[in-house]
Amino acid sequence: MISFKSIFSRIIFLHVIAVVIVAIVMPLVLFWFVRSAANDLHDQAMREQADAVARHLVLRPDGGWTLDLPPALEAIYSPAYGRYAYAVLDDTGKVLFSSLRDSLPVFPQDFHSSPRSPDVTFMATGKGGSAMSGVSLAKEMSGRTVWVQVGEDFSHRDVIIDDIVADFFRRVAWIVLPMLLLLLAIDIAIFRRALLPLLTASEMAQKISPHRMDVRLSAQDIPREILPLVQAVNQALDRLEVGFRVQREFTADAAHELRTPLAILRSRVDTVTDRTVTKALHQDIEGMARIVSQLLDIAELETYSIDPEEKADLRAVCAEVAEFAAPLALAQGKSIALSGTEAAILINGNPEMLARAVRNLVENAINYSPPGSTVEIVVEDEGLVRVLDEGPGIADEERELIFRRFWRRDRRRAGSAGLGLSIVRRIADAHAAVVSVENRPMGGADFSLRFARVVRSGA
Amino acid sequence: MRLLVVEDNEELAQLLTQRLRAEGYESDVLATATEARAAVSTTRYAALILDLGLPDGDGLAVLREIRHQKDPIPILVLTARSGLQDRVTGLRSGADDYLVKPFAFEELVARLEALLRRPGQLLGRSLQVANLAFDTESRQTFIDDKPHVLSARETAVLEVLMRRKDRVVPKKLVEDQIFGLSGEVASNAVEVYVHRLRKQLSERGAKVQIHTIRGVGYLIAEEKSA
Repeated sequence: MISFKSIFSRIIFLHVIAVVIVAIVMPLVLFWFVRSAANDLHDQAMREQADAVARHLVLRPDGGWTLDLPPALEAIYSPAYGRYAYAVLDDTGKVLFSSLRDSLPVFPQDFHSSPRSPDVTFMATGKGGSAMSGVSLAKEMSGRTVWVQVGEDFSHRDVIIDDIVADFFRRVAWIVLPMLLLLLAIDIAIFRRALLPLLTASEMAQKISPHRMDVRLSAQDIPREILPLVQAVNQALDRLEVGFRVQREFTADAAHELRTPLAILRSRVDTVTDRTVTKALHQDIEGMARIVSQLLDIAELETYSIDPEEKADLRAVCAEVAEFAAPLALAQGKSIALSGTEAAILINGNPEMLARAVRNLVENAINYSPPGSTVEIVVEDEGLVRVLDEGPGIADEERELIFRRFWRRDRRRAGSAGLGLSIVRRIADAHAAVVSVENRPMGGADFSLRFARVVRSGA
Repeated sequence: MRLLVVEDNEELAQLLTQRLRAEGYESDVLATATEARAAVSTTRYAALILDLGLPDGDGLAVLREIRHQKDPIPILVLTARSGLQDRVTGLRSGADDYLVKPFAFEELVARLEALLRRPGQLLGRSLQVANLAFDTESRQTFIDDKPHVLSARETAVLEVLMRRKDRVVPKKLVEDQIFGLSGEVASNAVEVYVHRLRKQLSERGAKVQIHTIRGVGYLIAEEKSA
């Protein structure tokens, strides 16, 4: 069975098959009817002709038979005309009279083996090049039975009947085929109309995304058969929307409950007079705050997907990250630079989320760089963002591990939960981008975010 | 100069006012959106520090309302929310800056002062980085309180950098500041003026450093005692 992607083409295909079958079968059936009607007519005529012949049959007193056909009848059966033939047989099968030469019977009757019907038998015979069809009629006269046979040579059959039968297919085709084609066209229009609500519902369903959770399929004009499907989809969307909202509320609540105490703690620590203690506590609080942020980021990313309409300029995103991270780098005696293309590199994505990914890479790079070095962000035309540092680089066996959640090279290092790069990978995945790391020939790591599709490159 | 702090966490609010007082800012503390609305419409504050999660409503609603009344008061939003849309929504609703908890108090003060230093705001007159000062009205530069004369374009560069001290000033912004919006600019013009300014300042003993963030812009900060 051919598989169809569209209901419409499936219906049309099946419908065309049905039309073809009807187009073949219907004329055959009609032809059969016409032929049997023509044959009935013929049989009837033959029977009447046999009766007419029988009326002129007279039994002589001496026991012999006399057949005195009027000239009009005689002419019909003349061998010169050749269309009709008659013969009269007695009950022994002897031919009494015959229009045929040599006094032959029209139908050779086997009186011994086949029990004949008492009244009339329709018969047909092939004889040389011609085929005879007609009747054998039993007539009883004064206690004696004779058989009157009348036949018609089908090779000279009635022209009108012949014409009708012979031209049947041609005539019928002219009527049936256009009608079937018209029917097909009308049906296509009907199917189209019938499928319209379904098409509308599909188009509406296409608009649903995590960004448009409010869209519901309209149950209006939806056929009863499909209504349960539409309702089920809408119910699923209701539940999904609640789920999304609960998730968002949870993230917001968790953020509030975790961050406000941290803010208080941070302010309170400042009142401690011992500067070394304050400094150490600040570092601890920074670390905790960072982990809280990353956990909230992860919670948010779980349910996040990119709006297909949203555009982000990679160059602008990287410039913003560089601006943001520059004071951080300078505070540690390091620097940061942005290079590569000057043009806007537009991709489909969320600028805020992309900034988080780049920021994570840049913050890592700054933290692992030696003082006096520069972290370099490079944006390339084909949709590539690279973050280069002069730190120790990444060992070959760790290249994949570092992107896993909670993976850390040094578990003793405080203030890091090993979440940053897993967030980068999650954001990259959401943008159909690939994040990878190489070591630079002169030492240091080279992280790259490669975006598959640049919407537009240039200023 | 009085600040309004709208924060429902009593402990944090108290700590904030204490620290602000130590920095020389008196502040009133309110805990609800309703009180905040009433206070802003009746009293003129230098700036508003606004928490978004308030017991009787969303701080964003307060923010929009204030902006709807065309009140230009600088508003610094203080929030636990850091979702993807939160910062954008906050800034679009009319916040001048957005700080996520927990924050370093120094950062809060720096950002607050940046807002107050904006043209037309209360701190706008005198900008200070280490021993370098700039008066935005007389357009005079002072090093250790002694006036120094800089060229007009050097002064323009210095002003835009000092208005955003400790933060990166995009190169484009510096360019616009020097040449206005008209005229062709030689591609290295900004580098030239920054270089001259840097030289002038160090020769005259200013303890500041102008960092070049290649590909991004410039940043002025206190010189690190190496």
